[in-house]
Amino acid sequence: MAKKKQRTIVGSPLTPTLLDELGALSNFPPSSEDFKPDGNWVNTYRIWTCHGYRQSGNQNVGLLRIKRLFNSQRSLTLKVHQEILQTDALVSIVEATIECRNNQLATPIAWNLENRFIDADNKTLRQLSYKDAGQITDGIDRTACDWCLFEAVQRLKTSKETALAFDMLEGLSLFKKDQRLSYRSLDPTKIGGENIPLHCFVQLGSGILPCEYWLDDHHRLLVVVSMNKAYILDEQAEKITRQIIEKERKSYEKRKSSQRK
Amino acid sequence: MNKNTTTEQSSCLVNRRDFIKLSGSAVALLANGTLKRNVFAARQSRRPKPKNILLIITDQQHINTIAAGGCRHVRTPALDRLKTSGLSFTQSYSANPLCSPARSAIFTGRTSSEATVYVNGRPIRSDIPNLGQWFSQQTDYETFYAGKWHLPRTYTSNIPGFNVINTGIGGFGYLCDTVMSRACQGFLRNRSKSKPFLLAASFMQPHDICEWLRLNMDKPERLRYGELTRELPELPDNFVYDKNEPKNIKQRRLGNEPFKGKWNKEQWRYYRWSYYRNIEHLDAEIGRILQTLEDYGYAKDTLIVFTSDHGEGLAHHQMVRKNTLYDEAAKVSLILSWPGHIPENRTDTTHLASGLDIMPTLCDYAGIKTPKNMRGRSLRSILEGSSVSVNNFIVTEVSSNTGRMVRTPSFKYIVYKDDSVEQLFDMRTDPGETKNLAESSRYALELSEHRKMLRDWESRLDVQPNVPNANVWRQKT
Repeated sequence: MAKKKQRTIVGSPLTPTLLDELGALSNFPPSSEDFKPDGNWVNTYRIWTCHGYRQSGNQNVGLLRIKRLFNSQRSLTLKVHQEILQTDALVSIVEATIECRNNQLATPIAWNLENRFIDADNKTLRQLSYKDAGQITDGIDRTACDWCLFEAVQRLKTSKETALAFDMLEGLSLFKKDQRLSYRSLDPTKIGGENIPLHCFVQLGSGILPCEYWLDDHHRLLVVVSMNKAYILDEQAEKITRQIIEKERKSYEKRKSSQRK
Repeated sequence: MNKNTTTEQSSCLVNRRDFIKLSGSAVALLANGTLKRNVFAARQSRRPKPKNILLIITDQQHINTIAAGGCRHVRTPALDRLKTSGLSFTQSYSANPLCSPARSAIFTGRTSSEATVYVNGRPIRSDIPNLGQWFSQQTDYETFYAGKWHLPRTYTSNIPGFNVINTGIGGFGYLCDTVMSRACQGFLRNRSKSKPFLLAASFMQPHDICEWLRLNMDKPERLRYGELTRELPELPDNFVYDKNEPKNIKQRRLGNEPFKGKWNKEQWRYYRWSYYRNIEHLDAEIGRILQTLEDYGYAKDTLIVFTSDHGEGLAHHQMVRKNTLYDEAAKVSLILSWPGHIPENRTDTTHLASGLDIMPTLCDYAGIKTPKNMRGRSLRSILEGSSVSVNNFIVTEVSSNTGRMVRTPSFKYIVYKDDSVEQLFDMRTDPGETKNLAESSRYALELSEHRKMLRDWESRLDVQPNVPNANVWRQKT
């Protein structure tokens, strides 16, 4: 009889230090003192999920790319591209162009969103895909969006005085009330054997598990963790995502051909 | 075939006192205006059929997690809307409180032991049709499936009888439920309305609590988010439990994270708080589908069935997760709505229901016969106001076919293979299941009646010999 594989339970909440221990972190893109949170930039995050064991079930599942374009003192544009690999080589893609108010929350004012699915043959499944457009007219100063917070948090003061209260339009579609985002601390973080202090903001609220935003001293958002999923800033995120999609396509083909036999 | 099944069920031994009481309560419900008698009679003769059917299944949802149902710890606008638009059963049970076995019962109307799905990750026995296969053969509904399947693969694009419209990722709720509900949204928006559909939308949440438990097993020095201290939900009344339990339950408890991690009460409460946030996430995703039904003109013509595969320990009896027969794991929401045909905002606290009843109920609404040997019964008559009970008792299996529960309107009986400790709870006076009456001579008659009900039930099942303990339950006295 085959012996059951021993698995060790992770035991404590994910932090950058723990992500590093679990092998989830690669090198962050080199930090630059020129990084301007309120300028033009592109951040690409690898999306990684954890099954709760150290040895197995933890995987990269896709990417989130956010491009910031400075418009004026009053507004900015975010271009969002998210890809998540599904079982049997289906890929979910969400793309959005969001015009944001240049306030503390980067409130989404108006947007276009496209949701589409790509099958194993790289064809768009039109029967599942759709486009949406929306705008906010009320509660502008109290509304945020999860993707916009990736931008906004980089402009917030890293001080205990920072505490925001807002409602969230998750994925520009699901309304989640009574969120709060506050600065927690500068935490000693060990990554790749080096001590790198990171700033942490925490978001708590309805409909979400606590979400931690980890930034370096240049206000660059490196890691976002909420329970068992992590968004990790990674220059290789695109390449890794292409690789996991390709791998899944091959194993799906294999499964299909063995079913045919 | 149906007739035979009906005869078999009605010949079962029933606790006479329970039956009389049940009938009385059901009549009272009718008299209170659940549905007018003449409406019921008219409906019966016409037997209308819903144009579309939406079956929503959640994963590991404790029955008391809907704000409109009285849960003070969550905001659930979508589930509230569902609950107030239909009839919900509060005495509804999973046929086996573990993912794959529970799902096999929902999708076949046969017990998990019969379907050979006695543990997770097994396929349904090939000669038993699933809901999709049966509807594809017998109806003009097009059958679609989105989300978690787990019979055997958790996610797959290959489900017999169904067009699979989304597959999900690995085993994680937050990301895959969002993608799944968006896929359902796209499906409903783009679909031509000419052909009726049966869509199963199977969510993974709030199952993410399993990952949460592994990521929060070790008791922290202090609460990670101190600001939550004041809003942590209290512990349930039956947090303290009766120590006279079968060893299966004791072992399960000791193997769980709270005991390994030596949790204090604050950590237990934080676990409950976190579970409720997963419920709210689930609610938002369900809301996306319900809103699309509304926006795209399906709502009036769609029968919605909402249930979960099983419940969640949620600190009752100091348990987490599932796979036990206490109510926290075994009871599940069961809500049905169909505007103009099922009474709105009604709660049925009287009738027993099981996951086994979903397949025959859907067949009844679709106007077709059921596959042979259904173990569940159609609930349609109750939904249309009948006072007659369809299930005088229900049986739930558990734990690799080593445990059984018999639930009658008044009592719950639990027994495990090779364990001399049986449990009997008076559910009228002790709904928290804290006082085991099995050893009390005052309840010897009830104990014996429930044992016999189980034996009679088992004697009718068609369990294949390769299923572990296939013969144990027929012999058990």
